[in-house]
Amino acid sequence: MSLSRREFLKSSAAASAATAMGMTIPSDLQAAATKAESHWRWDKAVCRFCGTGCGIMMATKNGKIVAVKGDPAAPVNRGLNCIKGYFNAKIMYGADRLTQPLLRVDSNGAFDKKGKFAPISWKRAFDEMEVHIKKALKANGPEGIGVFASGQYTVMEGYAAQKMMKGGFRSNAIDPNARHCMASAVVGFYQTFGIDEPSGCYDDIELTDTIVSWGSNMAEMHPILWSRVTDRKLSDPKHVKVINMSTYTHRTSDLADIEIIFTPNTDLALWNYIAREIVYNNPDSIDWDFVKKHIVFAASPVNIGYGMRSDKEKSVIDGKYTALEMEIMDKEQRKVVSATEAPALKPYGYKEGDIMENKPAGLKHWEIDFEEYKKFLAPYTLDYVATISKGDPDEDTTAFKAKLQELANLYIEKDRKVVSFWTMGMNQHTRGTWVNTLAYNVHFLLNKQAKPGSGAFSLTGQPSACGTAREVGTFCHRLPADMMVKNPKHRKIVENRWKIPEGTLNPVGNQHVMKIHRDIEDGVIKFAWVNVCNPYQNTASATHWIKAAREMDNFIVTSDGYPGISAKVSDLILPSAMIYEKWGAYGNAERRTQHWRQQVLPVGDAMSDTWQWVELSKRFTVGDVWGAQPLRGDKSLPDVRKKAYAMGYDDDTTMYEILFANEEAKSYKIDKGTFPQKGYDNSECNGDSRNVIGSDGTVFKGYNFMIHEYLFEEYASFGRGHKHDLADFTTYHKVRGLKWPVVDGKETQWRFNATYDSYAAKEVKESGNSHAFYGTLAKSLSFGDLQGIQSKEKKSLYNKAKIFARPYMDPPEMPDADYDTWLCTGRVLEHWHSGTMTMRVPELYRAVPEALCYMHPQDAKDKGVKQGALCWIESRRGKVKARVETRGRNRMPKGLVFVPWFDENVFINKVCLDATCPQSKQTDFKKCAVKIYLA
Amino acid sequence: MKIIHTLLFGFVASTLLFTGCFTTPESKQENVPKPTITEESMGLRTTEIYTEDTTTASKTEYTSAVPGTSHKFKRAFQDAPPMIPHSLKGLIPIKADSNQCLSCHMPAMAKLVKSTPIPKSHFTNFRPSTYIMDGKVIKSGVVIRNTSSESLSHVSIVKQGKLVGARFNCTQCHAPQSQGNLAVENNFEADYTSKDGASRSSWIGTKLMEGIDTTTSGY
Repeated sequence: MSLSRREFLKSSAAASAATAMGMTIPSDLQAAATKAESHWRWDKAVCRFCGTGCGIMMATKNGKIVAVKGDPAAPVNRGLNCIKGYFNAKIMYGADRLTQPLLRVDSNGAFDKKGKFAPISWKRAFDEMEVHIKKALKANGPEGIGVFASGQYTVMEGYAAQKMMKGGFRSNAIDPNARHCMASAVVGFYQTFGIDEPSGCYDDIELTDTIVSWGSNMAEMHPILWSRVTDRKLSDPKHVKVINMSTYTHRTSDLADIEIIFTPNTDLALWNYIAREIVYNNPDSIDWDFVKKHIVFAASPVNIGYGMRSDKEKSVIDGKYTALEMEIMDKEQRKVVSATEAPALKPYGYKEGDIMENKPAGLKHWEIDFEEYKKFLAPYTLDYVATISKGDPDEDTTAFKAKLQELANLYIEKDRKVVSFWTMGMNQHTRGTWVNTLAYNVHFLLNKQAKPGSGAFSLTGQPSACGTAREVGTFCHRLPADMMVKNPKHRKIVENRWKIPEGTLNPVGNQHVMKIHRDIEDGVIKFAWVNVCNPYQNTASATHWIKAAREMDNFIVTSDGYPGISAKVSDLILPSAMIYEKWGAYGNAERRTQHWRQQVLPVGDAMSDTWQWVELSKRFTVGDVWGAQPLRGDKSLPDVRKKAYAMGYDDDTTMYEILFANEEAKSYKIDKGTFPQKGYDNSECNGDSRNVIGSDGTVFKGYNFMIHEYLFEEYASFGRGHKHDLADFTTYHKVRGLKWPVVDGKETQWRFNATYDSYAAKEVKESGNSHAFYGTLAKSLSFGDLQGIQSKEKKSLYNKAKIFARPYMDPPEMPDADYDTWLCTGRVLEHWHSGTMTMRVPELYRAVPEALCYMHPQDAKDKGVKQGALCWIESRRGKVKARVETRGRNRMPKGLVFVPWFDENVFINKVCLDATCPQSKQTDFKKCAVKIYLA
Repeated sequence: MKIIHTLLFGFVASTLLFTGCFTTPESKQENVPKPTITEESMGLRTTEIYTEDTTTASKTEYTSAVPGTSHKFKRAFQDAPPMIPHSLKGLIPIKADSNQCLSCHMPAMAKLVKSTPIPKSHFTNFRPSTYIMDGKVIKSGVVIRNTSSESLSHVSIVKQGKLVGARFNCTQCHAPQSQGNLAVENNFEADYTSKDGASRSSWIGTKLMEGIDTTTSGY
């Protein structure tokens, strides 16, 4: 049978369409179709980039990716991708992929911290890592080794890394870049719901009447969600309202009915203004039945500092910080209450000019009554809030006030559904946890939370911040499925599951990302490994961390696909397989887990991060890591070797045998003849045709068991039956993702809502309540007033959520006479994070080849810098050059500039301040003070 | 003493590796690593990262050509979104009530002015209608509570007489292109399945469902 090319293509398409639709087709045509398909292979995969989690269809031919299209079956994006999504096709093909390990050496080939790089074998790379990890452990115990982890790890990579770090090395110094992205949202979830979970899902967009975007340029940063918002808006333009809350005008404003430009940090005041409008001026809008059944009111200390280094830390005492830097850092100890914040702090007993002594307060909070909450809200009148929050000096105050009133009215309007979305504006904030909780307040009072079409919903930035970083628990304080290292019961559960001795896990988990950098600068951490992130480009006060990496006695390793800034400052660079060169899974912002298969072989000798961790585990034995270990502050971890012997291990048993190649792991069989393994490469399990020389100097032939499935299933076992249920590995390869918890094969659309969430339904069987906020963390509180605890007796808050009193406060650094301009950083649509992948895609590079300094035209004029000219952007910490843009997509109010951080040549994090939310430890990249002048 | 040790070790190591090369022919030979690669020779930034004095970003140089006066870009691969060959001056921002891209690229006008027409895929809605009625969430006409994953049989393809709202933000996928050199070359090779794949979208009709059942496909 012969077919013309045209018929051939037609029959191929018809066959796959028919199969998918469950129709039968003539067998002649089917045979022809199979032949046509033999040139291109289509498979489903997930986008590499943001937290939206779009499904893509990926075509490969002869072991190369040849095309990407939007997956019409993917519920998230339905056949559409954004520009980055389509160009997933090209991200692995940059000409300078890392293909072999590189080590800094001297002329004799020995490691030399000051040397240039030389290609080495994997064996030599692991030899060096082994030596330097042992050296670091000997010097400072488990706290001496750190891992910069990632919200872009696959679930399996994150799980493998955490297992070896916490179970093997007994170190909790593993913390992801998601700390910079999601941590405030997470602490907000914990404090409000008692569980780290968003209530809503993306279907809220189609179901709502109102979309309010707070500190989130969704149009560029979550473009596909924005396409859904656009579709909803255009479907009913009069009724559907879109409001953009931002410190400057951007693409999200372009579709908005109302745009509110506010002064940085005053989102705290704006949320409290809306709450005050509800409580004082529209008390009838409060759903008291809902509030009484489901809500308690709570307060917490306000003098908690700004997450900067204190004057008691080594590098500060040693004088590594300049007098200019100390001007701001001194506020970590104490600050003067300003005129701006004084009215908001009055209920807490402060007045303008008072010295506020800051003290670390951790996550402490207590219950208050509604009258106390009402007292807290009193200052947030329209006059006060408008005065402090109007962000555009050219805007008329009356017009601005009218918009605030309209905003409140839209929230309050009976039967109007409202979704509040936010991202980094509210998370990267020195009061990030506070402002996250304030969002839920408004929705709770109105009973507009965890309902179809209504709810406050935090959008994640990264593809698996929700899945890998949070659910897997690759944070310094966490274990899988919402468990915590400091909770002895949780440690025991994990130790049992991992078949490691009781007492192995380290209960002290405080080395978050900033602390890891600071511990390197203090000389505590002597070995650090960078996985799937770029901490030397993405961290504020960057000069300090680069200097610490290059000039101190330590060993820094970076695993990456390309040589970025982190690779350059490292001592050893490892070539990593990139996303479609390995099997993997991501969990997106709406709790959707999505898996993909390895589409092509990695380049050169590159291997996945999972493989790198597993190979490293072969180098460490029970005798090496499970003896007594010292911790800071005269603490220590017990010797657990005797318990290990009792479990059948001996001093020479490797961590590989215990953690990764155990009997359970080996029960996950290689089955090349069956779906989903059939027809797909699996470099870790089977080796591959490249015959990479592995960590022992011989050809790596594969683990010979299905390690991806093992890691996923073991991780999933922690959550099943515990409100974090996942389906099985093979199911995920058949479906376009499932929103957890997946109970009886069904996903969960609206958490905590008894109609949609089986866990909530179980809880309300007797009460008949509409919701159950069943999280268990901090669900027993003492009682007090705004200023402190009065009665220590604790009361259970079973199934309840919290409304928090949390005031407006100034950020630690604000424009003044010397540094007169606000600096905000962030992303652009066309580039992902530090640009390592997207700057190597020609279309994306050419779309935005440089980071611009977006500025108001009058500011440019006043500072003597012209459109397109180079200017210096200088803070107390450093300066960089960028070209001035006064007419671009971001339209700035006077007094504020925006500079994105994707461009290595505009190293803006040298300028930013590493102040964090003291509760979440998330850096505020959205505000610091700079001066601008002609370069 | 230390130097001798290192030299000796280096000698022994290289001898071992050298002999190893003969005994196991499939293993790659490892010479003594030579420090040849500098930080500045790698990656996107070619100046040192420790000072900013000599570092400047690559300048953006979009074309100033007005629409209709420039050559179209080849599509990067089959059905990739085409890039914008003309200046966007005065054409953006795209607002809810004004999208100037549409005035030249809607198919009827595109024919007249010879611009790239918005393809049929943009007039096809893949999102099942989702709404609330009587307090119930309805998707594709079915009341949903806890869904099992929306399976392939739920793929919804509805042709619309107007541009699908989700495709309204043109600059979400289409961007102007700065001239000048790339920072790093890219080795991706396109493979067009249709003759005019470099200039035209083929993603219509039965192609929409091509390859979508991934439980059976494979080489």
